Amino acid sequence: MSARKLPRLLQTPAVLLLLVWMLIPLGMTLYFSFIRYVLNNLRRPEWTSPSLSNWRGFGNYEFVLNSKDFLFAIQNSLFIVCSILFLTVILGILIAVLINKTFPGQGIVRVLLISPFFVMPAVNAVLWINMILDPVLGLQGIAVGSINELLDSLRNAPLLGWFFSLWPDLAPISFRATQTSAYAVIIMVTWQWTPFAVLIFMTSLQSEDQQQKEAAILDGASTWSQFRFLTLPHLARPIAIVVMIQAIFHLSLYAEIEIVSRGNGNKNLPYLIGEFANNNIGAASATGIFAVILANIVAIFLLRMIGKTLME
Amino acid sequence: MGRIQLKNVTKSFGDVQVIPPLDLTIEDGEFAVFVGPSGCGKSTLLRMIAGLEDLTSGEIEIDGAIATQVPPAQRGLAMVFQSYALYPHMSVRKNIGFPLRMAKMAQPEIDQRVETAAKSLNLMDYLDRKPADLSGGQRQRVAIGRAIVREPAAFLFDEPLSNLDAALRVGMRLEIGELHERLQTTMIYVTHDQVEAMTMANKIVVLRAGVIEQVGSPLHLYHRPQNEFVAGFIGSPKMNFVTGTEAEKHGAATIGIRPEHTVVSMSKGSWKGRVGVAEHLGSDTFIHVHDTGVADMVTVRVSGDIAVKHGDTVYLTPQADQIHKFDAQGLRL
Ligand SMILES: Nc1ncnc2c1ncn2[C@@H]1O[C@H](COP(=O)(O)OP(=O)(O)OP(=O)(O)O)[C@@H](O)[C@H]1O
Ligand SMILES: [Mg+2]
Repeated sequence: MSARKLPRLLQTPAVLLLLVWMLIPLGMTLYFSFIRYVLNNLRRPEWTSPSLSNWRGFGNYEFVLNSKDFLFAIQNSLFIVCSILFLTVILGILIAVLINKTFPGQGIVRVLLISPFFVMPAVNAVLWINMILDPVLGLQGIAVGSINELLDSLRNAPLLGWFFSLWPDLAPISFRATQTSAYAVIIMVTWQWTPFAVLIFMTSLQSEDQQQKEAAILDGASTWSQFRFLTLPHLARPIAIVVMIQAIFHLSLYAEIEIVSRGNGNKNLPYLIGEFANNNIGAASATGIFAVILANIVAIFLLRMIGKTLME
Repeated sequence: MGRIQLKNVTKSFGDVQVIPPLDLTIEDGEFAVFVGPSGCGKSTLLRMIAGLEDLTSGEIEIDGAIATQVPPAQRGLAMVFQSYALYPHMSVRKNIGFPLRMAKMAQPEIDQRVETAAKSLNLMDYLDRKPADLSGGQRQRVAIGRAIVREPAAFLFDEPLSNLDAALRVGMRLEIGELHERLQTTMIYVTHDQVEAMTMANKIVVLRAGVIEQVGSPLHLYHRPQNEFVAGFIGSPKMNFVTGTEAEKHGAATIGIRPEHTVVSMSKGSWKGRVGVAEHLGSDTFIHVHDTGVADMVTVRVSGDIAVKHGDTVYLTPQADQIHKFDAQGLRL
């Protein structure tokens, strides 16, 4: 046996397992997406079990493409993912740079900062929507209520009262509404994933060369210029990693969407799949294939971006 | 202009005083070299001059003006670091132009100055490369280029050649020497390589544990070291020290004889010994002689090649006019 063959042979089981792991679900999804397959149909009981005789060709795909929520779900998926990426990267860099300086209580602050990452997504969503964002009982409601009370009492104040009577009462925002439920999801996921970005950026900042900083100081670079010309390029790779990993995770958000509004005004592809899967497995599978295509497009896009930052 | 004066300067890290009160003047246009063993505070001193390290007390004056509170960038000093500290994401062109860009200079003038510097440093072919794609010597030259374009009042070098191989080091040493001849700008150069110190300096500052042991021209330090430490530190191979009755004959506690000031003979001489290792360099031969009865080992340097080998018996005679005498405190007599 040649020296090359043995390692290959030893790798084979792992590779095979991985292939099986990925190919079987993908193959079944593909198969279901081309047949009529529903869980419940009294008129056509033969459709309730998967079989090649129920072949539907591209019918399921057509059905999905024509369903009213499909384009909206894709758009909304991208909107949510991009917003979260943007916010977590900006916040992550800000916080990482701030806590990279030494200050008393650094250890505790760091642990606290990381902790949101260990909250389960569903718990996170319930906490945010009920305790913080709720327009009546949540922090938001309480804050808006007390500001309005304060305004009220100021309006009755002598002399300056007329000035405050020009101010309107604040209205709390209902984050379960059609127009706002996507924002609620963006807020809570950003809160949960910013620590991840902070963690990655912080480790990267710690490996930054201090002599380069000193050279820049001597070269007359301001704090901003040091950040712009040294720190930010140094962070390019970790930013690419954070974007990549988060994009993969957030394309498949589900729990938050379900808990905030049950998809009201806020669907993404996984949620749409879930809705179809209540009965129409064929349509759900076709949507799944679309989701795979979307994920690949996003991945290629991101890989290009990462490639570029590395080439720089 | 670049006259740098340190007045009563001290530095402590926490409770540890690294630099006890120290006075030093470096004249405009001088090439001053700080030498000393590792950890003696050379880098700390240089960083204090650059403004990267605060003084614990004392004053620094640059061209007669107190610079102690002046921020680093405004002191008009340029520093070349041991690790080069090039900006890894910028091309060589951008690296060299960076200080000018930070000074908000117009782009055409930046380009022109960068080209001039690159030409003088033989970097024209590499202007669009990244530092990672350069050799050690080229990186060093980029770092020097970045310092030159600012036209500083003084250059500060912190062991700039210690990451280079021996041959390159000799080449770069000459280049920096030529640079100084051409620019006539003050340079302060930190090294623990005494060959660099001897060959480049107008003025050598020998430091030990933050204290200046002696300041002077290389040859002055070589011929008239003020104490045993300087005598042992300057010169290669190291000076031989002899104590005991042999030293008392000369009325000193210790006498020092440089390896090159000892005559070797196979037949007669003052001290008889056995050859340990003979290093034949071609141009010179270093012979390490044991069992002389005056010191553990005496090193001698003989010009040219001489046929001695391990175990041979040789006789050594120090040249009478080249014997350095030191008292019990190690001070020159
Ligand atoms: N930031 C610091 N905190 C505490 N001690 C320090 C610090 N920087 C340097 N020292 C101490 O100050 C002393 C002088 O250090 P310095 O770096 O100036 O030595 P050096 O002469 O440059 O040595 P080398 O030749 O090894 O570079 C050392 O004992 C070192 O441990
Ligand atoms: Mg040092």
